Amino acid sequence: MKQTVKFGLILGFICLIATFILAFTHEITKPKIEEQIRREEEAALKAILPEADYFRPGEADGIEYFEGLRQSELIGYCLKVTGSGYGGYIHMMVGIDPSGVIKGVRILEHHETPGLGSKIDEIRKGDSSPYFLRQFVGKRGDSLAIRKNIDAITGATISSKAVTDAIQKTVSEFLQKVKR
Amino acid sequence: MDISAFAAILISTVFINNFILSRFLGLCPFIGVSKETGPAVSMGLAVTFVTTTASILTWFIYDLILIPLHLEYLRTLSFILTIAFFVQFAEIVIQKKMPSLYKAFGIYLTLITTNCAVLGVTVLNTDMFFLKYKAVAGSFLMSALQGLGAGAGFTLAMLLMSGIRERLEYAEVPRCFRDVPITFIIASLMSMAFLGFSGFKI
Amino acid sequence: MKTSSELIKGLWNENPTFKMMLGLCPTLAVSTSVVNGLGMGVAATFVLAGSSVIVSMVRHIIPEKVRIPCYIVIIATFVTIIELLMKAYMPLLSRALGMYVPLIVVNCIVLGRAEAFASKAAPVVSAIDALGMGMGFTWALCLISAIREALGNGTILGFGISDYFSPPLFMILAPGALLTIGVLIAAINHFSARKDDKRWT
Repeated sequence: MKQTVKFGLILGFICLIATFILAFTHEITKPKIEEQIRREEEAALKAILPEADYFRPGEADGIEYFEGLRQSELIGYCLKVTGSGYGGYIHMMVGIDPSGVIKGVRILEHHETPGLGSKIDEIRKGDSSPYFLRQFVGKRGDSLAIRKNIDAITGATISSKAVTDAIQKTVSEFLQKVKR
Repeated sequence: MDISAFAAILISTVFINNFILSRFLGLCPFIGVSKETGPAVSMGLAVTFVTTTASILTWFIYDLILIPLHLEYLRTLSFILTIAFFVQFAEIVIQKKMPSLYKAFGIYLTLITTNCAVLGVTVLNTDMFFLKYKAVAGSFLMSALQGLGAGAGFTLAMLLMSGIRERLEYAEVPRCFRDVPITFIIASLMSMAFLGFSGFKI
Repeated sequence: MKTSSELIKGLWNENPTFKMMLGLCPTLAVSTSVVNGLGMGVAATFVLAGSSVIVSMVRHIIPEKVRIPCYIVIIATFVTIIELLMKAYMPLLSRALGMYVPLIVVNCIVLGRAEAFASKAAPVVSAIDALGMGMGFTWALCLISAIREALGNGTILGFGISDYFSPPLFMILAPGALLTIGVLIAAINHFSARKDDKRWT
């Protein structure tokens, strides 16, 4: 019995040291990690709404968004959209103009299968943007559907549908909130 | 959350994203313990038991301790410790209470702590069923089901592989391919067959 | 002489991937491109070296009976450190490797080295042994991912090989990984068997 207590103490002591070391590492890396995420968001915002000179963050019923302003005039919104794909969540940034027409889509993070689902973010040789995401531009964000006006990627139907459905759902919800 | 979402998780983890054949988790026992059907299935059942309970235990640890205290970075450390202690505990209990069961499963239990499938499913649960450090609707049940499905998928792959390898005993395999290499080739063919499930609409 | 042999044995004679067949899950899962393979190799080497040195330093303090949980705690600490560092400084790589970074904890090479070598040897020797094993793991990972990336995606390190080659997709999917390692191990068996034959005759 006494031995068990001793073993427990030794293990507990090691765990304590480990926790301290990790807490220290976490404190050091935390600002860096947050900065990385912020920088990626900023890059996505600028790519989607290049005309805007200022982005004002806001939140409406769980939808995080940025208002794109040029000389304090509203020219569009950037919404944070999360879809449930084949290998986990797909995080996106979707830009729309005030009437709901899509200006651009950027994938921030995804875990789709390399070679299949990852094609949602694939840039073909000689192109400047992913070919799958380009077809969203110019269409109304609240009337998107695979096979209707969006072509799914061969072999990656689930991932294509996840992206399309998530954008359609979030944009329609958001537009209803804004109209009210 | 309706029933179909839960059924989808089960089907998906067993067939479409089979832990061994598509995620490569638990590959070591798959190659090592799949020579005969008996031990292979015993190993599979032991793994299923541990993945299911580990999914449940780690869900509580993550949701009730790590997230409220903002200690998400301790995920790996706390999960592997939980699994190690649980496996040790289960081993002692089974040895005392059910010696006959221990004879069949005991040696496999000790190997399970370092089976990637167990830690893999717990990490996957927190990746898939927690969004921005918040549990999504039905998160707990989905985690438990994913644990069960992962184990069931593992057992299925073990059963199929051991069946093939038993018959392979009588085949004339080229010398350099004998044992491990041919097992990998068979696994590759099985994985290709399982790839067919990814066309499933669920 | 002795230290160099400790370093070199991991590269070939006791190569963790091809000879001892340890740590296969990450080997196959992340070897879809050379960059991923290299990243995983370096991360695992860091964990291996760090945990081996610490395990060797505390080998007289830790009681026999609780040594495995203690080793696991030490390894998990190093894994979390590399996980946080990767997120902070290499976000793209950290995303590409995803859940396979925390899974380094259960990579049998790391615990295997702690148990079989570092718990019985001095810190410096353990570090050399771990570095050798890590390098052996890394080059094996790079070889497998180079084959898969070239055949499955038509590129090496992201650069295209030829416009006239349309790559069979299945090489970067799961079956391609299993096929590649199966054929590689068979090839190694074949050549080492031939060498043995020559020695005998």
